[in-house]
Amino acid sequence: MPLFFGGWLNWLTGPQSTIDVAGPVAESQRHVFYVTVWVTGIIFVLVASVLTYATLKYKARNDSDEQTPTPPQGHGNPFIELGLIAASVLALVFIAIPTLRAIWYAYDVPAAEKTNALEVNATGYQWWFKFEYPSEQIDGVGPLTTANELVIPVGRAIRINLRANDVMHSFWVPKLAGKVDMIPNRGNHLWLKADAPGYFWGQCAEYCGESHAVMRFRLIALAQKDYAEWIIAQKAPARALTPPSDGALAKTQPAGYAFKNPGRNAPGYSSAFDTDPLAAWLKQQKPAANENPVLIAQGHDLFTAKSCVTCHVVRGNNMGGAPFAPDLTHIGSRTTIAAGLLENNSVNLHRWITRPNEVKPGNKMYLGINGMPGYMMMQDDKLVPHIVVSDEEAPAIVAYLQSLK
Amino acid sequence: MEAIANAGHPGAETHAGKRSWLFTRPTAKTGIVSWLTTVDHKRIGMLYGISALFFFLVGGFEALLIRIQLAVPNNTFISHQTYNEMFTMHATTMVFLAVMPLSAAFFNYIMPLQIGARDVAFPRLNGFAFWVFIVGAIVINIGWFVKSGSPDAGWFGYAPLTSKAYSDQFAGDMSTDLWVMGLQILGVSSVVGSLNFIVTIINLRAPGMTMMRLPVFTWMTLITAFLIILSFPAITIALVELMMDRSFNTNFFEAANGGLPILWSHLFWIFGHPEVYILILPAMGIISEILPTFSRKPLFGYPIIVFSGACIGFLGFGVWSHHMFTTGMGSVATAAFSLMTMAIAVPTGVKIFNWIGTLWGGQLRMSTPMMFALGFVWMFMFGGFSGIMHAAAPADSQQHNSYFVVAHFHYVLIGGSVFALLAGIHYWFPLIFGRKVSEFWGKLSFWLIFVGFNVTFFPMHFLGLNGMPRRTAVYDGNMGWSDANLVSTVGAFILGVGIAVYFTVMIRTYFKGEKVGRDPWDARTLEWSLPTPPPEHNYDVIPTIHARDAFWYEKTHKDEIAKETAEHAKSETAHGGIHMPSQSWFPLLAASGLLIGAILFVNHLFLWAIIGGGIMVLGIYFWASEGPGGYHVHLEKHDDHGDGRH
Repeated sequence: MPLFFGGWLNWLTGPQSTIDVAGPVAESQRHVFYVTVWVTGIIFVLVASVLTYATLKYKARNDSDEQTPTPPQGHGNPFIELGLIAASVLALVFIAIPTLRAIWYAYDVPAAEKTNALEVNATGYQWWFKFEYPSEQIDGVGPLTTANELVIPVGRAIRINLRANDVMHSFWVPKLAGKVDMIPNRGNHLWLKADAPGYFWGQCAEYCGESHAVMRFRLIALAQKDYAEWIIAQKAPARALTPPSDGALAKTQPAGYAFKNPGRNAPGYSSAFDTDPLAAWLKQQKPAANENPVLIAQGHDLFTAKSCVTCHVVRGNNMGGAPFAPDLTHIGSRTTIAAGLLENNSVNLHRWITRPNEVKPGNKMYLGINGMPGYMMMQDDKLVPHIVVSDEEAPAIVAYLQSLK
Repeated sequence: MEAIANAGHPGAETHAGKRSWLFTRPTAKTGIVSWLTTVDHKRIGMLYGISALFFFLVGGFEALLIRIQLAVPNNTFISHQTYNEMFTMHATTMVFLAVMPLSAAFFNYIMPLQIGARDVAFPRLNGFAFWVFIVGAIVINIGWFVKSGSPDAGWFGYAPLTSKAYSDQFAGDMSTDLWVMGLQILGVSSVVGSLNFIVTIINLRAPGMTMMRLPVFTWMTLITAFLIILSFPAITIALVELMMDRSFNTNFFEAANGGLPILWSHLFWIFGHPEVYILILPAMGIISEILPTFSRKPLFGYPIIVFSGACIGFLGFGVWSHHMFTTGMGSVATAAFSLMTMAIAVPTGVKIFNWIGTLWGGQLRMSTPMMFALGFVWMFMFGGFSGIMHAAAPADSQQHNSYFVVAHFHYVLIGGSVFALLAGIHYWFPLIFGRKVSEFWGKLSFWLIFVGFNVTFFPMHFLGLNGMPRRTAVYDGNMGWSDANLVSTVGAFILGVGIAVYFTVMIRTYFKGEKVGRDPWDARTLEWSLPTPPPEHNYDVIPTIHARDAFWYEKTHKDEIAKETAEHAKSETAHGGIHMPSQSWFPLLAASGLLIGAILFVNHLFLWAIIGGGIMVLGIYFWASEGPGGYHVHLEKHDDHGDGRH
């Protein structure tokens, strides 16, 4: 029984709940939902009672009942019909009024908040999200760019411009706002606001191909001061550690973790993280205590040698990059990798860079994109390996990426 | 049957003289040839029904694989790719290959009987519609047997995911081509069939069967047929444009070259929303037949039920963008479609009120068809209420593409359409096969299906409100979705057992069920005046209609009707007797050309595909050349056979 009563309430308080909301836009949408629940609920009780009563009262009890003379052959009553039509229209008016108000409210930032609003660009790719801050320009580079984790200040209206360059996607952080689609060759937008600091789960809500199910992201709402600090840190180029002497580089370094392949679709989350995700996020901003500079330097070189650099930007450290791949300048400061799929830790990073196709089948890093090869390449109509990151090489790249705070 | 067939066939009484072998009409009444060349609306109805039920089971099997994959978080039962193929094919199969043709089966079998006709207006065209349907079904399902796999872009096929750039990156992928081609072919079948039904209903009604005396099921057939011929052009345009993009590098939807993916969405849903009513209106028609029969009183508010059906049909063309509330249409457009969608709830609600009004003051017999019909009213009501929630655009922006929507449309399509179709099979089974399903097993299957259905889909409302998006092959265990998904999977298996019991009982009844005679339910509409099963020519004498519930009137005015029938029998004999259409090979030939052409086309052998087109044109040319055919049946001569038919 608890499953069917108390249980159902627990079924509505998950990290992507549309009921347990945390911002005014989602609240306005929930309000409309509640109105519909009330109105249809009342109609249901009335109609269901009449239906139940009619079924029980006029039910034939036994065979002889069925043989009795036929009941009156009435064809209906126009006044009852018209009355019920009028009542239905009236009930719908109760829903229509809050609906219209919320449509206009949710469409764009209210005039009073426009001057203080923060504008962000979000672009959907198969299968990750790019976020740009046009108001935070970096000299000679362009707007501050990050991937899969959108950081916003609390209490400010955020207007998010939604774009897509490949197929349709949809931007959805249920606790903050209903979804709006990202459609190629069409400019969309939504706005949202977080009431208090928090760590929110989001997900692509428009089917976008093979790995649609694992196209996720996070939204982190920070107090004004924390947000300002984050912006400064993000605008800085990638963190560079003092390079060790050439002698040290040649030596094999301990990985610092043991890797065992957990297999495809294996969970990438942990309850330790979930108990206080915002605290985990804050902790992720600072360099780890046990960094190994030699391993990191090896990773830095491998990152170029394995041609990761062809697509991925690591501003300041590795020259290269392309706009259709996630910017990794500060990947070490993000709490997730592979588009919000796995917690950002050594084992998960190792899993992702050695076996990308098991983590996210069909991904472009693995298959290549725009005619460029990825881990695989086309040769004589066959896919053959192009880049291999072995389990021995991976720890260095993992250490390097994690150092990029 | 033999006796009647020989009466006027082939030789002497055919309209034309001696013909070349090519144009000699087939006359087999039993065996495989009789089915391949049939023009009998009842046989075509059965062919539709059996094919539809086969695909219903295929679609159900796909659904069970989906539910197994989602039973637990982070499951590895099937791959992402396979999962995507499953949900694409599950929806495509259920919509186009199961529910629509099952409705078509009833249109074919029941509608001509209800209006007192001997066949549809264009019997060979009717055969053609069926064979084209089979061709479309084959083309869509070829994917299971070839390397490139089944279609995987969703049943809605949103551009540009269907473009070559995203579905055909490396290999000669043809799954999307199969889907595009298959749907176009099914569109031909649906439009051809619908035109036939419209002409039949308008022209072949028995004397006295005015429009406002038509049984509601026939009315819903008419409205559905109009919806089909008006809505399919929209998706046909979209599909042809997509086919051009994929095959000949045009740029309708190719985003990279400036095409507009949003255009596809609009075209698809201008078809797609009327399609929803194409699926539900026949169901409402069936329910409007069953409830009066088992309440033993006329339908409450017949004119309003008919009018609201037509009203739903009209409004159904003005609400498509409620599938697109999240595409950024702007406030005014969103508001307009929101209000239109609420408006359509009124005629739908009116139907529910009238069904309850039909029960009121009646004498309800709780036979199995009635159980399914009442189940329909309850479940459809739930689906209707969640539909009103979606109509409120702000609420929908959270629910859209979440499991809340999955719950909603399964309440409408299973709780609605499928319950009604299952009710219809139970209801008309005695008419079609002359046997009746056992009440115990019928009710057992009802309760298994009813409970299984609710356990499967009710928890999905919670999943959706808790933020689970649809079309996702895996989910994490920390999202609070695990319990509801497991419950749902358990429900799906209960539902599966219910369906298995239902069909096992049907098959057993076909062979060993209790035999019944004419009119076992004490029904009200004309088809029940026929012997079970009805003879090939349906009515010995075309009936004359005096009232809305035509057969009920006959039963209460026996003497008057008997006298009138005798008079009409005489005048019909004077006019040459019962006129029946001849069988033909050419609908099948024309359809097979379509199959050959389609298969060559999806393999990008465009010039070879012309051969298929040639065969189709040849089939249609022969079909036109063989002439209308037809023969007469004389019943009087064969009364001595004593087969109890007349």
